[in-house]
Amino acid sequence: MAKKTKQAASPLSGRGVDLAEVERLLDFMEAHHLEQFEYERDGFRVLLKKASALLPVPSPPDSRRPVLAEHPSAEAAMAAAVASAYSPSSTGVRSAAEKMEDLHVIKSPIVGTFYWAASPGAEPFVTVGAGVEPGQVLCIIEAMKLMNEIESDVAGEVAKIFPDNGSPVEYGQPLFGIRLNRKN
Amino acid sequence: MFRKILIANRGEIALRVLSACKELGIATVAVYSEADRHSLHVRFADEAICIGPPRSSESYLNIPQVISAAEIANVDAIHPGYGFLSENANFAEVCEASHITFIGPSPNVIRMMGEKDRARAEMSAAGLPIIPGSPGVVADEQAAKQVAAEIGLPVMIKAAEGGGGRGMRVVRKQSEFSGAFQTARAEAEQAFGSPHVYLEKLIESPRHIEFQVLGDKYGNVLHLGERDCSIQRRHQKVLEESPSPVLDPEARWEIGRQVVKALERVRYSSAGTVEFLRDATGKLYFIEMNARIQVEHPVTEMVTGVDLVKSQIRLAAGETLADVVGRVEFRGHAIECRINAEDAETFVPSPGRITTFRVPGGPGIRVDTAAHADAVIPPYYDSLIAKLIAHGHDRAEAIARMRGALDGFVVEGIKTTIPLHKRIISSPDFAAGKFDTHFLERQLAVGAK
Repeated sequence: MAKKTKQAASPLSGRGVDLAEVERLLDFMEAHHLEQFEYERDGFRVLLKKASALLPVPSPPDSRRPVLAEHPSAEAAMAAAVASAYSPSSTGVRSAAEKMEDLHVIKSPIVGTFYWAASPGAEPFVTVGAGVEPGQVLCIIEAMKLMNEIESDVAGEVAKIFPDNGSPVEYGQPLFGIRLNRKN
Repeated sequence: MFRKILIANRGEIALRVLSACKELGIATVAVYSEADRHSLHVRFADEAICIGPPRSSESYLNIPQVISAAEIANVDAIHPGYGFLSENANFAEVCEASHITFIGPSPNVIRMMGEKDRARAEMSAAGLPIIPGSPGVVADEQAAKQVAAEIGLPVMIKAAEGGGGRGMRVVRKQSEFSGAFQTARAEAEQAFGSPHVYLEKLIESPRHIEFQVLGDKYGNVLHLGERDCSIQRRHQKVLEESPSPVLDPEARWEIGRQVVKALERVRYSSAGTVEFLRDATGKLYFIEMNARIQVEHPVTEMVTGVDLVKSQIRLAAGETLADVVGRVEFRGHAIECRINAEDAETFVPSPGRITTFRVPGGPGIRVDTAAHADAVIPPYYDSLIAKLIAHGHDRAEAIARMRGALDGFVVEGIKTTIPLHKRIISSPDFAAGKFDTHFLERQLAVGAK
């Protein structure tokens, strides 16, 4: 029986990854708005995928799947770098890679249905451009027939409202992008 | 039949339920914690909804989040898998109130089987043998001695409010009785705030034998044979097999008949497992019932050819047992090894990133797993990463196939208990079918340096 040969080390094992180099690659990805980047040079190979590139295969058009509006940021990219490697078919789905300033994102703490007003036909709690204070009610998320008021935790101005009125939202889904008040 | 089912679980069992749904043409909704965002059950489901942060209490055990997800996805039914909410009677009731079918027994039956004292009383009343013991708490030492005389030594004196092996004393000789009784009471008072104790016959060298059952919504129940789950470590099953090497056809037939009769009496529906301890003389004693699908269900599936998860779904949709199962036939022998992400000697958990994951195949080999190369095993949940099942036309062939499969199962990047299973499967005592629930502890003690 042949002697077993030593298995080749997998690309990220053993030799100590140069994190500074990985960070430079991530900056490169940011600067060029890349979703996926593969890099190899003598003995060092790395595959970096943005979190937004890791969304599952697109569902049929009539499914009620909540859409995640991913926020491309260095943080998300770093998370993607250490996340599972991944099948190529998934890169078909992406959220719009909008150019986003640094907004404070208020995310849903529960699963439910998003309503921007207290009742149908009523005025929305806030609109884009509205000023908000900590504790101010921004929206209702209905879960199991209970209306949960979602409050702002910061002071600022509403820059973006992510979900459509009446759409389902999941835990952690972005609801509002707030431009924080600058300190004088 | 249901249009859409939400799977309230994760890991390998979520994939298992998913595949049964696919076979039946049912749309699937996965729920997941942030730690499971990239897991296979999320990727393969038709829809997926994030329900919370990694901690189970805030995600998979969070009833409002799970129900809310079921509502926004507009599902017909929820399959709870095993663990998590599968034996939570309150959850089953909330499902009913929300007009969602809970794929499992009725809330009342779940509650009955969940209260262990009550389950024993009900099953005893229905004719199943239970471990002889005092009817309840013993009033004093005199009464305790009386009970001991009736049931015969050795006995175990156990704290009524207790658990975890504390407030328990074994008495083998009459002369030890007084001392043991008083110590047990003192310990019980210390640990649990109540000195109340009860007595139970000590089953020496027990084997753990459990019967798989299925019931429909019309009062019909049948059993699909037994599994021998005596290979355990700290009361956790490590390896299971069917049929049991020590159960003869007469015993199987008799206990099986009694189990069916007892469960029809309480109108048990869906899947379940009735657990027994078998003493050295061959007598079986009912200990508890698990009112859910179990980890080791593939063992029974391989021997009977019955898809237990698909059966659960069809029975929950209102089909009869006759249509779903018909006659049960037993073919050959099956063994399952539970492979955990743990050090095979110290059992310290080993979460992390899997770098290599090569799964064995070939005749009679089945692997149920949600793990894969580059998957990250999170530290928040149990350590089971794969179930390796081998089937053969007899026990010897099943063992031989398992041995080969274990050799061909390569996992790198994390530690697994594959080496432990190799030890068990090549043990002469295991091959001879000679083992009880203390077998593994003895093996490990021998191996320890």
